[in-house]
Amino acid sequence: MTDGVPARQLWRLHLEIRDHMPLWQQMLVVGSGVAAGLFISVCVLMTSGVGLSALWNEFVVFIFTNPRNLSAVMTQSAPLIIVGLAAAMAFKVRFWNIGIEGQMIFGAIGATFVATFDIGPESLRLPLMAIFAMLGGMAWIALPAILKLRLQVNEIISTLLLNYIAFNFLLHLLYGPWQDPVSSFPHSEQFAVFERLTSLNWGKLDFSLVVALGLVAVSFWLLISSRFGFLLNFIHSNPLMARAMGVRVAVLTLIAALSSGAFAGFSGFVVSAGIESRMTQSFFIGFGFSGILIAFLARNNPLTIVAVSLFVATLMIAGQSLQVFYQIPFATVQLIQAIVVICVAASEFFMRHRIRLAS
Amino acid sequence: MEFLINWLANVPGFAVPFALGAMGLIICEKSGVLNLGAEGYLLVGAMIGAGSMLTLPGHPYLALTLAALASALLSVLFAVLVVHLRVNQVISGLAIVFLAQGLTSLVAGKMGWTNRAFSGLGDIDLGPISDIPVIGLIFFRQDPIVYLTIALFIVASYVIYRTHAGLRLRAVGENPEATDAAGIPVLTYRFAAILIGGLFLGLAGGYLTVVVSKIWVDNMAGGRGWIIIALVIFARWRPWRALGGAILFGCIEALIPRVAAIGIQVPQYFVLMLPYAVTLAVMIWTSLSKEALSNDPSALGRPFVREERR
Repeated sequence: MTDGVPARQLWRLHLEIRDHMPLWQQMLVVGSGVAAGLFISVCVLMTSGVGLSALWNEFVVFIFTNPRNLSAVMTQSAPLIIVGLAAAMAFKVRFWNIGIEGQMIFGAIGATFVATFDIGPESLRLPLMAIFAMLGGMAWIALPAILKLRLQVNEIISTLLLNYIAFNFLLHLLYGPWQDPVSSFPHSEQFAVFERLTSLNWGKLDFSLVVALGLVAVSFWLLISSRFGFLLNFIHSNPLMARAMGVRVAVLTLIAALSSGAFAGFSGFVVSAGIESRMTQSFFIGFGFSGILIAFLARNNPLTIVAVSLFVATLMIAGQSLQVFYQIPFATVQLIQAIVVICVAASEFFMRHRIRLAS
Repeated sequence: MEFLINWLANVPGFAVPFALGAMGLIICEKSGVLNLGAEGYLLVGAMIGAGSMLTLPGHPYLALTLAALASALLSVLFAVLVVHLRVNQVISGLAIVFLAQGLTSLVAGKMGWTNRAFSGLGDIDLGPISDIPVIGLIFFRQDPIVYLTIALFIVASYVIYRTHAGLRLRAVGENPEATDAAGIPVLTYRFAAILIGGLFLGLAGGYLTVVVSKIWVDNMAGGRGWIIIALVIFARWRPWRALGGAILFGCIEALIPRVAAIGIQVPQYFVLMLPYAVTLAVMIWTSLSKEALSNDPSALGRPFVREERR
């Protein structure tokens, strides 16, 4: 690596920058990264008292032989796919949207607003809730987006701070005006049947997965094959060059950021009107980080996002049963995700560099 | 008047975590490494501090030391990722936060440290000086770490601005290529800066449990790490301005439990939003001011790759 290495050193490492790596090799590197991450996670779980056979049971047998659990994984994957798309949309223009949870909260608030005040006819209630949810999410990302574009305020911190503000606002609503009048618990009133996503009669699976896959198709077209996606790619790889070539970088960044907020708000609606059937205090927990992780691992590609979401959903469902049977805190799911991300991110070093042992 | 004295006497205790954390981040970011993991280091420090107090009661200084060391250990992972493996600093920083959130919750849960109160470090009593009305209460009846923080600020700003090592540290953050050409080991400086930053942030986290709350609750840093990051931007990487900012946030945090006492009727959750809203306002104000883009380390966030040197 350096010139003038001491003579006593018998060998040294040569680092070279790699410009290109064949796709199969890239997949091999990422695959080994994931494998290393999972190996470390298994070690962590084993040291906290979950045996190997128990892990096999919870993660493989339990999920894939029981249709009820498989349907639970599918149900869980729908909002994950949508937050993954939300993160990918923003990352495409290098807008670090860390505020997905805050936007989910405002999405759910928008949807619950429509449901609580019975806005619109019953047949149009669900679409209205969805639209208000997207508007809520967009409103909550608009401020950091404008601040970044106008004043160069760092969006990582502003979106993150808005998460805390949104959460306190949610608590204010749930302990105040929107508290459930039936049970007096701090969650909103249960949504009426026509305000919930239709069940698909397979375990808990509801219509949300269909919607999520529809959004994947739309995003695939938008990001991969449309002119809009091409311009986003341009901005991603070189914003200065894009500006110089006459691309309206600010407008496109704003559009991408707002769509990211809309997706996040929509997933808030999906969780509330689907799995939870009301707005709770904790419906959003973990989705923000999972969205970032999914988009990062999937390289912002909508199709890969589906695959990674299924993986994270399996982790979440298995994590719930680990919590019940082995007293493993649910935050461990987050720990495993973080370990996998770190390993994959570290493995990219081998994608960009060639290492040689020189004697 | 009594309200004011009471309020001000409580400010230093709330300001210390912000001040220590900001100092750590400034050292780290002066070397050109963007460290978004602050929240994670605080959590690890806080959890280890509480755990140490619960297993070895009566040794607060040991607990604080262990807190700083544990957080430094986590910062080694971050340093290897961003310095040696050249991973994106934003992704690494975020991953560190989420790793720490999961890890502290798992470890504290398994060890049975969660929600268990202990007796921590108390305030000093200088006898007659501490009994001087007003001044004694505000300045001479604090815990020892408050005074240590001031000492650390003096030492750290001397090192950064008045010594060879400090000059090199700043050079690494401004122009790593030129510094490298001058024969200064860029990667070593960055590694050391991240490590020292980890120590400071861990001490800040340990302070949160050992001195302030005297109990560990999951995720108890409550966004203070992010406020510290914003604070450093607001201070334009200047230590003494950061101390001023820390005192400002100390005032706000000390005010929160007292708002109801003044007789202002604001819904409590709006009061709890205050630190985050003020942080956001401060960030907007900072970018509006004229010196917005001056003084930040030019190479902040950019990995140093010698093979790509131009």
